[in-house]
Amino acid sequence: MKSPRLSWLTFLSVYFRSFLFQASWNFENLQNLGFFYLVLPGLRSIYGDELSTDVQQRQVTYFNTHPYFAPLIAGTILRMEERLHAGEDVAVDPDAYKKMVMAPFAAMGDALFWGGVRPLAALIGLLLASQGSLWAPVVFLILFNLPHLFFRGAGLVLGYVQELRAIETIHKCRLPDLAIRLKESTTILIGVLCAYLSFKGCEHQDISGVWGFVLLPIVLLFAWLSHKGVTSLFLVLLTTSSLLLLALLF
Amino acid sequence: MVIADYLLAGLVAMLTGLDRVALVQVMISRPLVAAPLTGLVLGNPLLGLEVGMLLELLWLGRLPVGAAIPPDDTQVAVGATVLAFSMGQMLGLGGMPMVILAVLVAIPLGKFGQIFDRLARNVNDRLAVAGLKALGSGNTNGLERRHLMGLISFAVSSLATACVIVLIGSVVLFYTAPQLIGAVRDTGLSLQYSLIIVGAASLLGTINVNRSISLFCAAFSGTLLVLWMR
Repeated sequence: MKSPRLSWLTFLSVYFRSFLFQASWNFENLQNLGFFYLVLPGLRSIYGDELSTDVQQRQVTYFNTHPYFAPLIAGTILRMEERLHAGEDVAVDPDAYKKMVMAPFAAMGDALFWGGVRPLAALIGLLLASQGSLWAPVVFLILFNLPHLFFRGAGLVLGYVQELRAIETIHKCRLPDLAIRLKESTTILIGVLCAYLSFKGCEHQDISGVWGFVLLPIVLLFAWLSHKGVTSLFLVLLTTSSLLLLALLF
Repeated sequence: MVIADYLLAGLVAMLTGLDRVALVQVMISRPLVAAPLTGLVLGNPLLGLEVGMLLELLWLGRLPVGAAIPPDDTQVAVGATVLAFSMGQMLGLGGMPMVILAVLVAIPLGKFGQIFDRLARNVNDRLAVAGLKALGSGNTNGLERRHLMGLISFAVSSLATACVIVLIGSVVLFYTAPQLIGAVRDTGLSLQYSLIIVGAASLLGTINVNRSISLFCAAFSGTLLVLWMR
């Protein structure tokens, strides 16, 4: 196998560009410009400043994936471009590879980061905030960004070093299972938070904490309504107007 | 609140707004961070923390997947913090009841965020076309420039949303806060906690895990019993 040509400086440049990957998000081609912008330092390092039309065209096609998975795809693409430039064969055309992996990686990233890590970190932050601690936002940011920043960097290197085998490695990491575990932990923390607030409410009213169980069916009803498509805005308006009306009447 | 405070809050609105999609995405756009940050520049981070706490869970289950645009909880958080601070000072009303009123006024105005965000992405459509044209003539720097110009659309959209929330919210609060503050105070903790609990329930309803209800009930019952028996 040909030895890697991209310098660490190029890697760093691609890594930092991944933070601007969605700057020109648009309805027409979603992240197409962003992906070209992401891999451009690598392409310049491989081909020089004059990129052929072929190279340009295959990197600005329609693209949409989870932003934290983009460096992983970029790493593989850059290695493929290196091989093509060296006249070696590649198993899959770079554009076909992008089209093949972008949707599964998007689904994985959405479930893991938006559906798993973020709510869990937010719940932990919220439990701290309910004690009035200003560390809450800091703890939330640290809990979320440690896996996030690591994943971006590790993904870029993994994609470059392992190329197509990176898909297998990601598969072995069982990220969807991890996302489910995180969601389960989030569910438990929602229960803890609701119980804590319910107990504090009872304490404030000077009534026994057992009355806090009254909240359980209410939360379940709201969760069911939300699952059926009732918006949070409607639930907020319903709850607050009922409580304000009661306060105004009695 | 002086002009400099509004300018600083506007800067926070743009920075946190950019973090939603266009720049970095380290989650300073979450209400739990954006609101205390706004509070910090206004000199009252605890006020921001209270706002962030009420808003954090409300739309957390709405995922920014593909072309879906969730309500702008970032600007709702920034706007509500500015409203609670400025209108609290102007009307001589403070404390949690004023925070709750500011949040309640700001929440529906978050819909404007979706409108402005959509407009920003439409502007980016044109930038993308121009970027591709530049690339077609071999000008990769031109494409890079167009790509980065997309940040301006998102920043302006965020600022516009925050401005609308603060402007409309100020008028609404000016006329309604003195009348409603007593009723809000009378509700005690109920109203404050109800906002967090609606958010928690919404998140629970959208979490899509097989055993979510049993896990939630077990955690709720266990925690409440432990707290009660302490």
